[in-house]
Parts: sequence; C-alpha cells; structure tokens
Amino acid sequence: MKILATIYKEFLLLIRDPGGMALIFIMPLALVIVMALVQDAPFRDYQEIKLEVIFVDQDRDSLSAKVLKAFKASPNVSLIVKNDTTEAKKLVQAGNFKAAIVLPKNASADLRRKTKQLISRVFANFGFSAETDSATLPVIDIKIFFDPTIKSNYRQALSGAVEKIAANVQTEWVLDELQQQLSEGREEAPQKITFDITKIMRIDERYASENKYQGLMLNSVQHNVPAWTMFAMFFILYPLAGNFIKEREEGSMLRLRLISGSQWPVISGKFGFYFMICLLQFVLMIAVGIYIMPLLGLTKLVLGSNPLGILLTASSVAMAATGYGVLIAVYFRTPQQALSFGSVSVVILSAIGGVWVPVYVMPEILQTVSRFSPMSWGLESFNDLFLRQASIRAILPNVLRLMGFAMAALATSVIIHKSRTVV
Amino acid sequence: MSTGAIRLDSITKQYPNSAKRAVSELTLEIQEGSVFGLLGPNGAGKSTTVMMLCGLMRPDSGSISVFGTDVMENGADIRKHIGVAPQEIALFPTLTAYENLFYFGRMYGLKASEIRAQIKKYLQVFGLSEKGNKIVSTFSGGMKKRLNLIAALLHQPKLIILDEPTAGVDVQSRNMILDFLETLKKEGTTIIYSSHVLEEVERICSHLGIIDEGKLISTGTRTSIMGAHDDCKNLEQVFLKLTGKNIRD
Repeated sequence: MKILATIYKEFLLLIRDPGGMALIFIMPLALVIVMALVQDAPFRDYQEIKLEVIFVDQDRDSLSAKVLKAFKASPNVSLIVKNDTTEAKKLVQAGNFKAAIVLPKNASADLRRKTKQLISRVFANFGFSAETDSATLPVIDIKIFFDPTIKSNYRQALSGAVEKIAANVQTEWVLDELQQQLSEGREEAPQKITFDITKIMRIDERYASENKYQGLMLNSVQHNVPAWTMFAMFFILYPLAGNFIKEREEGSMLRLRLISGSQWPVISGKFGFYFMICLLQFVLMIAVGIYIMPLLGLTKLVLGSNPLGILLTASSVAMAATGYGVLIAVYFRTPQQALSFGSVSVVILSAIGGVWVPVYVMPEILQTVSRFSPMSWGLESFNDLFLRQASIRAILPNVLRLMGFAMAALATSVIIHKSRTVV
Repeated sequence: MSTGAIRLDSITKQYPNSAKRAVSELTLEIQEGSVFGLLGPNGAGKSTTVMMLCGLMRPDSGSISVFGTDVMENGADIRKHIGVAPQEIALFPTLTAYENLFYFGRMYGLKASEIRAQIKKYLQVFGLSEKGNKIVSTFSGGMKKRLNLIAALLHQPKLIILDEPTAGVDVQSRNMILDFLETLKKEGTTIIYSSHVLEEVERICSHLGIIDEGKLISTGTRTSIMGAHDDCKNLEQVFLKLTGKNIRD
C-alpha cells in the first residue's frame, strides 16, 4: 500500500509538472526523430547509397553495352553517360560526381582481337593450324577518375565492379572465339553455347540470423530508435533526481524519514513509478519508429519476431536507467550537482555505448570501453532482437548485465541513504 | 501524570569538521502528558536533540528512550508514536491539501477510511475544510503551517514535536494553533515545543528545558524556573539572564 501510495503521489507530481512531462515525453520524441533524420544520410552513405558515376563511352560497342547493362542492374551505382573525358574529369574535380569511368575508343574491338590472338595462340600451341595475329596490341586502358573525398570502400567497390564486368565479357568472348575457331571448316556449325556466369556460380548474400527469419540491415531508424530511446530512458534521472532532491530541500523527505517504518516504500515506490515511465517512453518511441518515421520518408522500424525478448530488454534497460537515477538522486546533495553530473554521465555512457554512432565504427579502445556501458548492453540486445532475430537465450547475458547494474545501483543507493539518515 | 516518557541520558553529539560539540552530556527527562518547552538561542543544539530523539541521528554517546523504548535500538518503532511538525513546510507544494494528507496517512500505515476521517476532522479544526482540494502552493503561510501541523497529527501520535509552529503566521492562525495545542494538552498528549516566541511558551508549556551551547542550563516546571528568578518579570527576561545577550549566529 505504501509503495502504491508513493507511485500515485509520483504520478500526481509528474502530471502537474509540464516541464517534467515535456522532458520525459516530448523531448525524447523530438530527439529520436531529429537524430534519425540527421543520421539517415550517413547511414545510407555507407550502406544504401546510390552513387552517380559518369560514364564516358568512347567505345560505343559491345563492351560499353555490357558495362551499361551491368550498372543498370546495380542498386548502388547509376551511370550518367557523357561524351567528353575532359568535361567528366572537371565534374569529378568539382565534386559534382564521385567518379568517372572512361572506356577508351576501340576497347571492344581491341578486346575481341586480343581474345582471338589468345585462342589462336593456344590452338597453335597444341598443333592445330590457326591464323596467328602477331601484332602487339596495347593494354586496354579503362580509366576511372575519383573525387579525392570518396571513401576507399566505394573506390574499391567501383573498381572491382568494372574489373568484374570486363572479366565476364572477356570470359564470354573467349568461349565465343573458341567455338568459332572449332567450328571453322565444318559444313554445319554446332549450336552456339552461350555463357552466363551466374548460372555456374552465384554469391548468395544473406544476413546471419539465428532462426528461420531473415535479418535486417542496420539503418538510421533501426539504430536511432532503440539507441535514443535508451538515452531518453537514462535521462529519467533528470526528473527523478530533481524531484528527489527538491523533496529533500523542501522538507517533505524529512517528514517521510520521520514517518514510521523503513524508507524502502519511498525508494521502491519512486523506482516503480519511474520504471513504468521508462517503459511508457519505450512504447511511445517504438510507436514513433513504426508509425511516424515512414511519414517522414524514413524506413519503418522493424521489431523482429521476439516480443518477449523485447519486453525483457526494455524492462531491464528501464531498471538500469531508474536504478542509476535513484543512485544519482541519493548520492548528490544539490540539484545542480546531481543534474550536471547525471546529464554529463548519461551523455558519456551513451557515446561510449554506441548511441551516437554504432560501436563498430569507433576506435578499438572505445570499442573495449563500450563493453562497460549499460547502454551498449541494451543496444546490443535490441540489435540482436531487431536485426538478428535472436532468441531470449542470446540476449540473456546483456539482460542480466543490465539487471545486475540496476541492483548494484539500488543497493548502493540504499546504503548511502541509510548511512545519511536513520539510526 | 507518570514520569519518564522521554529520557535523554548524558547524550553527546559532535558533527564531523566541527570543533565544538553540538550537544554535550545532555540529560533530560520529559514527563508523559506534559507540554515541554525546549528553548535555546540559535545553534544551542535544540534541532540536534530533536533529530536524535526521533532516531534520525545517532548520538556519539549516551542513551535515549521514548516511552520506555531505546531509540537507537528501535528507531523505526518509536517513530510510529511520534508526530513531528518541522519548521520547514514539509509538504508537496503541487499536491492538494487532501492529497498531501492522504499520502502521509498512507505512509503512516493507516487505512483509507481512517485517513479520510482524520483529514475531515483536522481540516475542520484548523479551518481548512474549504481548502482541501486546493493546491498547497496557492496557500498562505498560515494555511501551510496549519496543514504542516495536521500532517504530524494524522496517526494520533503520543508524542508531538513542534519546531517553531507559529513562525511566519498571522495572529489568527497563531491563535488557532495555540488553542488546538491547549486542547491536546488537556487530552494528555505529550508535546515538545520549540519556539523563540516566549509568550507562546509561557502560555502553553508546563515544563521547560533551556539549552545553550549544547548543554542543559535549566530545567523544571515553568513555575519553578520562573520562581527561581523572581527578579525577572517574564520568561524572556529569565531566558536572557540565563543565556546572555550576545548574538549567537
């Protein structure tokens, strides 16, 4: 009853505090939306970006047709055809395009001739009579101009794609030439065998997930919604510690200390109330991810297939956040100390926990440090659930860490509170 | 009247980083049913004594018993029988008077029906019946003081400790509070009354204890103390004679 009375009292205090309500509900919603929008571009930048690349087609033959066809099917590269190499180079230099591919004049013809030379030489080597073309042909020089600001992975990917197209074409033409030379002198040429490398070998890309459901690639919404939700949940310390210290300063805490019995109902009532507020924040933020983000042109938040796991993780994050808030409230004697330390510490915990940028893009030392941030445990667990479709067993270590953190914070709070108050 | 409701036996308290003892070898006995005026200049050790009496602070040495129970052994139990109205307004300013009282009643472990009856009774006694559903921050100083006092009475404590209950209130509110305390006195409730307004102390206190620099310098019935200083016209003169005219803070 005492705990319920404290929860109800906290509820009344909160609903009569418009500033506190805004801090708990409106600010985090605004924060998660803004951060998801701001980080959408960088996330796409290294995952979903469609690069516009100039293609200077001086060849205008089958090789260029193959290049155009291959890139047309690519989800990441869009070719803009230009005729003038100098203009293309200038456009890249000006930063208007990230790269320009220049396919030289007669590239197709030269490649065909080189292929024919090669096959003829092979035939001659094995004693078959064949016309040999002994001319030394120049290397087919496909140029790619890059903007200096391009990320190295894009550069490698683009060069690799061009090389792959050229190699496929060459392989195809080798087979064509082989068939042509073998059918020479025959009255009836056999049916030509066409070559499609994807029918021989295929790279099947899949996300490693634990169960039958396929995973999902991390994007701005999938990262920012759980990350900033946790940040907001940890910021519960602001109203929690603020109210706690205000009560201490105004004297109502003294009256509660003077009232019979232990302080447990007061602390646990506060903990219970703010725990529920954290869960409410979580539900609201998730709803924003599902219903509001798509309206803003972002992707819809996908929750995966483990609602129990999500509830467990959200509850353990809420416990950790509330426990931390109680600790700050009890330890510091003035609101200035508590709120300054509390907010800065939450920002630090969030930064090292991977809220601002994913942990895997951090320097190695920070990746090591991040293992000690409760926000990292929570985020890892949410990523496991949302992206990797993990089971409860997989998230259990992080859930236990969060609960352990909450228990340690609460136990420390009780010790500090007792040491400063009751006989 | 029985004796020994409250016994402080040679208690001493010195705060860390303080060169002086806040309370030094203080021995005091307060009889059940008495209204005990705990007097002293600022910094004399009154608040420290009260904190130790309620079990919120541990004395460095000595013992305290309230209604026969050792406070240091059973602080939580003894607080069930004590109602304290601190000098500060120990209420939640954004809750209504009713919500404040109901919450404190719950924290005292009272049943809802009991709390409702007590709230109704005391709001009426203190002229706040019409204000029960008003937010406390909108109350005048006098109304807050009265409500602060009600919050200490809800659980019908055997011992009431009042620290400056009339500070900053108007004449009407002060009169209402003092009238009520006289009613409690007639009912036999033990009251420890700390105030700098010595006319009030003279009006309601049956016994006095005067503390200065952490030491008890005089104790007894009000009449015996006044009688021992027949050169003084009133309690204020006795107080100044015993504690001196030097300003303490």
